[in-house]
Amino acid sequence: MGNCLKSVSTDDISLLRENQSTRESTSSADQLSPPLPSYEYQQESVYYPSPNVSRPASQLTEEEQVKIAKRIGLIQHLPTGMFDGSKKNRECVICMIDFLIGDPIRFLPCMHIYHTTCIDDWLMRSFTCPSCMEPVDAALLATYQTS
Amino acid sequence: MAGLPRRIIKPPPPPTSCCCVQETQRLMAEPVPGISAVPDENNARYFHVVVAGPEGSPFEGGVFKLELFLPEEYPMSAPKVRFMTKIYHPNIDKLGRICLDILKDKWSPALQIRTVLLSIQALLSAPNPDDPLANDVAEQWKVNEADAIKTGKLALCWYLIADLTF
Repeated sequence: MGNCLKSVSTDDISLLRENQSTRESTSSADQLSPPLPSYEYQQESVYYPSPNVSRPASQLTEEEQVKIAKRIGLIQHLPTGMFDGSKKNRECVICMIDFLIGDPIRFLPCMHIYHTTCIDDWLMRSFTCPSCMEPVDAALLATYQTS
Repeated sequence: MAGLPRRIIKPPPPPTSCCCVQETQRLMAEPVPGISAVPDENNARYFHVVVAGPEGSPFEGGVFKLELFLPEEYPMSAPKVRFMTKIYHPNIDKLGRICLDILKDKWSPALQIRTVLLSIQALLSAPNPDDPLANDVAEQWKVNEADAIKTGKLALCWYLIADLTF
């Protein structure tokens, strides 16, 4: 039901949107369209520059803004897809709801999968896999080095 | 009013209820041995918890009441848990606050109420005086564990009597 999810409003445009729109133009708009609502939600609400620190966008220091912008960029580099029923995982451990065929999902380098909205919300707070606690950026760098 | 997390039970919206396969239901259907967690009648985010002192631990025979509250951010942030029953334990202070990494910086949204309560039960079995919250208790635990356990058992008796009296 719609009321299970936090509502998205359109006011309060933050600096980060600019960053996002430049990224958008570099790749296909179709591919990026599913994750966008979650970023919009993040932009209008509170940010987590470090664990246990939360602040509205307007009160972030410049350094924190850079850190968050980088993080959004890294999140966008993680592959997304649709759940097709072929994976062993049957439920998203974050919301504890079974994946349905066609659900937008995101793959982490450790091969754990989650609903895109669920995992993006977490990655904005901590760049680790909720299941194995593997740091996502270290794994990302490792894949760049090997390929 | 902020909506409840998807994994926590909420009043089913008629006519279809799509998001009710949730944590609370599962917790009630498959309870953990030695632990009971019942949601408050008026607040689905507040749980009344009772943990039995684990067998073979200094707390065997004790029954500990706790309160567990799911903050608005849950499961993105950890539940808030506190001992209501007094306990003589190096990682639990006089106010019932618990020093446990998964309740602080090691929280992950893959954890659940069930896993948090299991960790607390494990903390009762294996106190960790090297990372203390109650310094005096930890000190005694390190100097003479047998003595500390005796003090703990004695305190347990007193607290149980106090619980019965009030």
